[in-house]
Amino acid sequence: MRAAGVSLSRVVPAGLAVILALTACGSPPPDATTLLKQSSQRMLHLNGFHFQMQITGFTGSGEPVQSAQGDAHPPDLHARVNLKEGGILLEVEVVFAAGKIYLKSFTGGWQELTADQVAQFFDARTLFDAQAGLFAAMGDTTSPARGNSEKIGGHDTYPVDGQVAAGRMHQLLTLIRDQGTYRATYWIDSADSNLWRARLTGNLFDASNSATITFDFSSHDHPVSVTPPPLG
Amino acid sequence: MITPFRSHRLRSVNRPALLALTGAGLFLASLDAYVVVTALLPMLKSVNIAVNRPEQATPIITGFLLGYLAVMPVAGGLSDRFGRLRLFAASLALFAFGSFLTASAPSLSQLVTGRVLQGAGGGALVPAVLALAADLYPAGDRSRALGAVSALQEVGSVLGPLWGGLITASSFGWTWIFWINIPVAALLFWALWPEIRTAGEVRRSVNLDWLGALLATAGLALLTLALYAANPEQSPVGQGFIWQAPLAIVFFALFVWHERRTSHPLINVRRFRDSSFSGSALTNAIAGAGLMVALVYIPVLANAVFSMNASSAALLLFRLMLGIPIGALLGGWLAQRLRSYRYVAALGLILAAIGFLMLSGWNEGSLTPHLLGLPLTVADGELFLTGLGLGIEIAPVSAALLDAVGEEERGAGASFLIIMRLIGMLVGFSLVAGFGLWEFHQATAHLLPPLPGLNPNFATQFGIYTLKVKQAIFDEYHLIFRATAIALFIGALVAAGTLRPLPRPRWQ
Repeated sequence: MRAAGVSLSRVVPAGLAVILALTACGSPPPDATTLLKQSSQRMLHLNGFHFQMQITGFTGSGEPVQSAQGDAHPPDLHARVNLKEGGILLEVEVVFAAGKIYLKSFTGGWQELTADQVAQFFDARTLFDAQAGLFAAMGDTTSPARGNSEKIGGHDTYPVDGQVAAGRMHQLLTLIRDQGTYRATYWIDSADSNLWRARLTGNLFDASNSATITFDFSSHDHPVSVTPPPLG
Repeated sequence: MITPFRSHRLRSVNRPALLALTGAGLFLASLDAYVVVTALLPMLKSVNIAVNRPEQATPIITGFLLGYLAVMPVAGGLSDRFGRLRLFAASLALFAFGSFLTASAPSLSQLVTGRVLQGAGGGALVPAVLALAADLYPAGDRSRALGAVSALQEVGSVLGPLWGGLITASSFGWTWIFWINIPVAALLFWALWPEIRTAGEVRRSVNLDWLGALLATAGLALLTLALYAANPEQSPVGQGFIWQAPLAIVFFALFVWHERRTSHPLINVRRFRDSSFSGSALTNAIAGAGLMVALVYIPVLANAVFSMNASSAALLLFRLMLGIPIGALLGGWLAQRLRSYRYVAALGLILAAIGFLMLSGWNEGSLTPHLLGLPLTVADGELFLTGLGLGIEIAPVSAALLDAVGEEERGAGASFLIIMRLIGMLVGFSLVAGFGLWEFHQATAHLLPPLPGLNPNFATQFGIYTLKVKQAIFDEYHLIFRATAIALFIGALVAAGTLRPLPRPRWQ
């Protein structure tokens, strides 16, 4: 009893000091909308980044793209794309540079494609387009909610969960159905707003089967410059 | 390798049961040595690698061989030190763990790691089981047991591609090639547990040449890396070839230097001065390379240009594999009968070389014409002949090497034979894979695929394009098979020029 009486007068100020110190150290994390807005702006203004895109789940026969990875400084980018062709996987290389499109396929060198031709399989430019792309869509995510801090590739991030209109996603990848909404999750760096991962889930390619598209980003703001490859 | 099998009596055990159970483990591992050759494309697909990047399959094959080679030099000594059954159990567990990693792999790196561990586990099983068989039976009475163990291993490796092809083509899919290993290994473990737990084997301190093993493995790993053409469009060898290959040679030189000085060398390097020894070692490596080329490229050819599924490809390869054991028996008999190693070995290698030359003439119609009205094709005969030749060379080359090392080092000599064969497989396959794909890329560097879209003749153009690609694949194979035939001819010359005749039989 005596001990409690003695300590009380000291415990209260000490406790207050601890609380003050804690709140001073870590300001409360920003709300989900602010995080999305900051990250969207950050990603739209990078000088370059590396990306990896992977589609899993039901993709049906219409969607040939299985995965893609490369470096981008939108609208320019250079990517290796894995396409599904009648049960087998084929890798092609695409370059979007100076407003033109180039393809390197199974054999031979580079050839130039028209916008119509590239639209038949994968117009990767729209993924990171300043208006129609993923980073712009972050700002249009509705009812966002921030989750507990998570580590992605060793970086502290806040996951932000929300809904995106299907029409918005359809702009990203034309084979995505434009009915209803899809679930989107973004993992945003707690320190510098870099987007490390984004995931879209829903019945993306079929009315009754679900699929997931995952984007992983790295090398944020490492300058990327894509030049047109030599033809032939 | 290295230490000849030192026998010490085990307490009374059910010898046939023990041998059968450990032999089953060895059989399981030997099935998996070449099991992947008919499953490569589905394996690549499941880790999201496209068919036009086949070079990425190379480590699936070389990884296993490298794992096997890394443990072979020390496994014999480890079994002396820790006991045969304990090493057997540890190796089987490692093999099962490697199988688990391979079957569950979401990425190529895990797939290859799994294969390396499978190779290491499978490689250590061989000396463990051979030494156990030698322990179980007294000196005058063990050749049948050793023969049975070796035969199990050979049969396993012959059946492996067929086994892999059948599972891959079934509704189970390729992962079951590896999943199945886990319950079987667990069952063997369970059955052997009382013996493993109470094994009254004497642990002996053995002078293991760790440094030698490390130097040799480092050299081989670097050489494999140097020869791995990760980007065959630009280079037929690895991008770091310029520094990796010389560094590998430095490691090999250090290995030889160390082996000459150490008191318990892995291998008596002075033996290489004996031309019969080094000649049979080289011949053995060349034959190993030839076998590996056939093992890998016949299924891939079957798949890529004959549009066969995994089980049909496996059956096509089986015609060649069938020739090997028949040739092996024939070669042993002939060598004894003609009292010559050199000519029988050279005969086998020449037959195999002729077989490869005939295979190199294949085109799209090669699998159709029937031979003499029989339900067989000319191709069947060519495949069988190739296998037969590769089989005939085994007995005389092995016997010549074992004769050269003498009684005392027989165990070490037997391991050395396996090691040289695997090195031949590893180096030969790495070279062929890199140069073959490089040649394909050179040949198609200007072959642009037609694009759909506003192209009214797309279907026709695409048909022509497909034919041209198939022709380029054939050209690649013709080159690979002709190069292999030349290597085998050189092997025949080496064998004819170096192998000593049979010693007079004498009773000890």
